[in-house]
Amino acid sequence: MSTTTIDRLRDTELSYRATLAGGALSVFLLIALLGLAFPSSIWGNLLAILTSRSTLSSALRLSVPITFAALGGIFSEKAGVVNIGLEGLLIISAFTAVITTAVVGPEMTVVGLPAIWIGFFAGVLSSVLFSALFAVVCIRFKADQIIAGLAVWLIALGLAPFAATVYYGGVNTDNLGTTLGTWTVPVLSDIPFFGALFDADPAVYMMLVAVPASWYVLNRTAFGRHVRASGENPKALDTVGVDVSRVRYAGVLLSGFLAGIGGSALSLGLGQFVGNNQTMVNGKGFIAIVAFLFGNYNPVGAFGASFLFAGLEAAQIRLQQVPGYGVPDSLIQTIPYVTVLVVLALVGRTRIPAASGEHYDTGDDNR
Amino acid sequence: MSATENAKAVLRRLTAASATERILISFAALVLAVLVGAVIILVSGRITTCQTAATTLFGTGFCYDPVEVYLVLFNGALGEPFLLNDPALFNPGWNPLNFGLALTLKETTLLIFTGLSVAVSFRAGLFNIGTQGQLVLGGLATALFSFFVAPALPSGLVGGLVLIPLAVIVGALVGGLYGAIPGALKAYADANEVITTIMLNFIAAQIAFVLVSEFFSNPDSQVVETTPLPGWATLLPVAFPQGGDFSILALAFGLALVVGVWFLLEQTSFGYDLRTSGEQPEAAEYGGVDAKRTTVTSMFLSGALGGMGGAIWVLMVMGKWQAGVPALGFDGITVSILAGNNPFGVVPAALLFGTLKSGSLAVQFGTGVPKQLVGVLRGLIILFVAMPEFFRMLGSAIDLEPDRETVATDGGALGGDDE
Repeated sequence: MSTTTIDRLRDTELSYRATLAGGALSVFLLIALLGLAFPSSIWGNLLAILTSRSTLSSALRLSVPITFAALGGIFSEKAGVVNIGLEGLLIISAFTAVITTAVVGPEMTVVGLPAIWIGFFAGVLSSVLFSALFAVVCIRFKADQIIAGLAVWLIALGLAPFAATVYYGGVNTDNLGTTLGTWTVPVLSDIPFFGALFDADPAVYMMLVAVPASWYVLNRTAFGRHVRASGENPKALDTVGVDVSRVRYAGVLLSGFLAGIGGSALSLGLGQFVGNNQTMVNGKGFIAIVAFLFGNYNPVGAFGASFLFAGLEAAQIRLQQVPGYGVPDSLIQTIPYVTVLVVLALVGRTRIPAASGEHYDTGDDNR
Repeated sequence: MSATENAKAVLRRLTAASATERILISFAALVLAVLVGAVIILVSGRITTCQTAATTLFGTGFCYDPVEVYLVLFNGALGEPFLLNDPALFNPGWNPLNFGLALTLKETTLLIFTGLSVAVSFRAGLFNIGTQGQLVLGGLATALFSFFVAPALPSGLVGGLVLIPLAVIVGALVGGLYGAIPGALKAYADANEVITTIMLNFIAAQIAFVLVSEFFSNPDSQVVETTPLPGWATLLPVAFPQGGDFSILALAFGLALVVGVWFLLEQTSFGYDLRTSGEQPEAAEYGGVDAKRTTVTSMFLSGALGGMGGAIWVLMVMGKWQAGVPALGFDGITVSILAGNNPFGVVPAALLFGTLKSGSLAVQFGTGVPKQLVGVLRGLIILFVAMPEFFRMLGSAIDLEPDRETVATDGGALGGDDE
């Protein structure tokens, strides 16, 4: 592919994203305009919802699992392994976090660490171990990454409700009676609207740190360079003496680590794991994939997209509480999924890392 | 090269592997899944609490005994032909036309449809994860069509003969159109079909829920469901007991479809286009195949088979559409992967998985191990079938077949011994 073609591709991508971002902004402005003009109409209600502090705070909370899974997906896919099993990693960590906390005893403290944080780390660890299994299957045993990713999802989807039934007698766990709670920054939390940023779930702060940190690691460190090379041109990386497999293992494990934080935060934020149907994760892992595609593998862009999807979800939940429009809840609940579908249709032509999904053989590590 | 093309390359390698090798891999994957399942059963037997240990290994008591679990599973799925823990072994009162076997065959029948649906798309190189959504909407269309048309027809056998085939066609059409959406998104917007089909599953479940709860709900019921159809408009059990919800006619139809799909894939020019665009997309394009149209048509066909699965679920099992549709579409992925995406392979794979699902009820009842165990096995089977290289390495490590070295390096693609 010549440079000009790549440039042209990049230009089209940029214009796609610019159009979409512009579209989202104009929809918001339209709602604002209509809401200000007719404060007592549905537009007025929508504007009130979109500009309320509680919507911002729930959008931040809802974006945590999506953002962390998306960051994980970026590292894995940039390193050359398509990780479609993010959903499974979220499920397994969400479940492990709750069950560990319950086993330790929600009110216990072990070496100065409250049980809920032990549960949190156990959740992250379970996700890392599960992603290690996925990595071995994909890298060592050269499994098809899509099918292995589906397997990761389906195993978690079966295992969590199974284990919950063994322990609790039902697919949902009991409520722990405790959550991660909120960390409040004095003074700053009193700012109207944006104060929600300083009166939040600990995981929200972690997310606000993890996004720039991921960007820095990926773009400004030697490790990040290796990750990108491993996905774009593994042969070149191999030539300069870096072990491609090792970089890919690191990428996949990192995706397990990040998704694990998202999953633990999801269930411990509620104090319970819900295991019926698609479990409480309910597609967040797949939405995360769309989020980083939309964000063009840029951690900051992926966060923006995750926040957009989470914001829709938050607005949708609030909209259900507004009486009198007669729109069935279930229909409103499809909004985030439909948006994801539309976004994917519009940015489908994302240029993925060139060697992503391919096995890389150095020719000397087999047998 | 994009990820999808790579995935296609893998599919290509999978299909190019010889039939014997594929059967061996499926079998090995199954054995391994059962073994890992046994470990999971043992471990969960340590988590739960019980009065007396079911088995004792290495001086530790376990609440669940995996051997007993699997024995109860197969025995239950066949309707208990064996008396476990009894020297007589055979159950003199066993009747082949029993409830347990009806349950097994019911699941098998449904899985044949969803397994075929997934197989068609996978053969075309498309990962249709959306069979579930296509089944949900196809089933709903069948239920609504039958409900509204039934009063206009004479009740009884004649009415059934007219209505049931039409209802199945309606289910197939709706499922097919719903499947064509991700096909078109893939063909014309290059949107990854794995993600779009999963999103469409969520959307289908919600749309069906809204349609039924808001417009077509059964006034006599608290559950979100449509009004039950008259008995003559459904597939009634023949020979097998009433409660098993199994009609041998549906199974016969499913088997006929297996032959039909095989014929379509292997003996027609459309099937040739479909397979080549799955196995060698560049060659297919070069050979003049309209890739975009083939993508949409393949997904329509796949969705139609899923929709028929939904129609059979409504007509044979429920007699109505009810919210909380079982995950037949996801099980179809396992069935198809286990079958190596071969239509004929779908039948034994569906039978096996039907046995697991039906036996799991007996397991929950008889040993206390939750029936969700099957969900775990479903994932494990897919994982192990996805890694043929593992078994090849295992094979060469224990040096069972030193001659298979060529297969191990190139997946046997040049062997020319595929069907």
